[in-house]
Amino acid sequence: MTGDNPYIPYTATVEETWFETGGERSIKTFKVVLDDETVRENWSHRPGQCAMIGVLGVGESMISISCSPTEGRFLRFSVMRMGKVTQALHQLEPGDKMMVRGPYGSSFPVDDWHGKQILTIGGGVGQAPLRPIVEYVRANRDQYAGLTMIYGARTSGDLCFKGEFEEMSKCDDLACHLTIDVEEDDWSHNVGFVPQMLLDLNPSPENTIVITCGPPIMIRFVLENLKKLGFADEQIYTTLENRMKCGIGKCGRCNVGGMYVCKDGPVFSYAVLKDIPEAFA
Amino acid sequence: MVKKVIAREKLPELWAHLSAEGLLILPIQDGPVVLFQPWYAGADVRLDAVNSAVSPKDIFLPREETYLHYRCSGQQLELSAVKSEEPVTAFGLHPCDMKALEMLDRVFMDQDPPDSLYQKRRERTTLVALSCDKPDPFCFCNDFAVDPTDAPGADVMACLSGNSLRLEARTDQGKAMLERAGGLLGDDSGESVELKEVVTADFGLKLEGLPEDLKNRFDDPAWDELYKSCLGCGVCTYVCPTCYCFDVEDYGHAAEGERFRCWDSCMYGHFTKMAGGHNPRPERKERVRQRFMHKLQYYPETYGEIACVGCGRCLRSCPVNLDIVRVIKALGGEKVEQR
Repeated sequence: MTGDNPYIPYTATVEETWFETGGERSIKTFKVVLDDETVRENWSHRPGQCAMIGVLGVGESMISISCSPTEGRFLRFSVMRMGKVTQALHQLEPGDKMMVRGPYGSSFPVDDWHGKQILTIGGGVGQAPLRPIVEYVRANRDQYAGLTMIYGARTSGDLCFKGEFEEMSKCDDLACHLTIDVEEDDWSHNVGFVPQMLLDLNPSPENTIVITCGPPIMIRFVLENLKKLGFADEQIYTTLENRMKCGIGKCGRCNVGGMYVCKDGPVFSYAVLKDIPEAFA
Repeated sequence: MVKKVIAREKLPELWAHLSAEGLLILPIQDGPVVLFQPWYAGADVRLDAVNSAVSPKDIFLPREETYLHYRCSGQQLELSAVKSEEPVTAFGLHPCDMKALEMLDRVFMDQDPPDSLYQKRRERTTLVALSCDKPDPFCFCNDFAVDPTDAPGADVMACLSGNSLRLEARTDQGKAMLERAGGLLGDDSGESVELKEVVTADFGLKLEGLPEDLKNRFDDPAWDELYKSCLGCGVCTYVCPTCYCFDVEDYGHAAEGERFRCWDSCMYGHFTKMAGGHNPRPERKERVRQRFMHKLQYYPETYGEIACVGCGRCLRSCPVNLDIVRVIKALGGEKVEQR
């Protein structure tokens, strides 16, 4: 970090990489460690926050930090190969440098949720911002009444963090429900869309917080179904994703209503979000 | 209070002195328009002109500025922040532009974290505001509680008076500037100039309660008509003193290059278009609405006042007259004559 300029990124070294999914829009996970020891020690993020990560000469993208601070002094990003910057990021291998600045934005108020049932509902790469909640709750198990995860993708090959779910399903007080859109051989979990699976599981709104992230169409039907199940707006959280450049509420790009997604989001309670024009545009 | 005076024919000497102290930026005739530019010997300085074609916001938020250089060889990566320490004198900003600066300050300096690039420029700039006694037919700053003859926030308040320019220090920084120019300036022992009240155009706007009212007018049918004439050229955002959207881009390759930011505009389709192709503001309607809702509802909701100072630049520049006055009126912000 050079001086107090908030736009100057930290350098970080890629330690490990692996592909979560394949195909043209593959998702690659990067485990990175900030190079400067002081920066590394002072870095503190909360579940749901993001960072601007990038490659010099190409640019930066806002990506959610997909690990919980409880996991250690490293960062994880799960990046879908989509545009210019994410294609350049996908070229990075262990030992390469990644530029990182942040953490940015609001976080899930996980510490206000003590004593509650936590229900995460994810779709596709939308599981990335949810993963830190899952990990945070697992690391502080006695603080929460329980954790239920619903996660779906088009095919089994499109599910992120698959290896981790095997381990999780062995835990007694953690329910992990996976679903894919269409039938596959050797698939032992649910087949069907996420919003339908939510209805089928019929969770009680009693003492529960639900967090949902995924494609807009999924969010729309999940919200509809949560209302059917009797969840109040205040019990529902989600994240927004807009184009961003500065990350600190100046450049104007992610403006929705009187808010900036980079600064006031990405985490919003549905009670707040439902009144913001263009929030779901 | 330090008050000085200088004859207008001696101003070039003052410009030479100030530009020797650092960067001197002031309104200069450039072809058909007046623009805030660095002074040069022989420049046609236009203190008498009405508002510059483009607002002087670029003194603090330049059209483009490189803020990072990088060089990489093997495993060695070198990042260097671009720093500039040169003092700046911004001379001749009218009270409307000074008021707009106050609005930008809230976004770039008061919000955490501050934008250090902007903040440092502000800190090393001495602001000499110039009272404005000849508004043109497009000026309507009276509607926004701007006094064209006075600018709070100025280090020095200047006014043209007959054949001289009178200068009054308002801050220690301004006082020091006048003292350093001592030999060129005479003491102004004259009476304070009783500036006549300057009346700007009355377009019949009714702004009271407008931000609150617009909260419920995001889906107002007026938007369906208003945007139709917009060409999406973005000139409104470039000339506007309270528009501040910017882009960040890299220039270079893996071994060497720079990162810079430059002005951008919410009137452009790519502004919000994401890599996957989704665009939350896909059409001109959404973009026009965004720009004016930001000025008239979002900004006031956060900071308590409408983000317009009545400088008239959008009225002078918009090729289809889709200026803020027309939009305010279409959204119900027009006085109704009582008969």
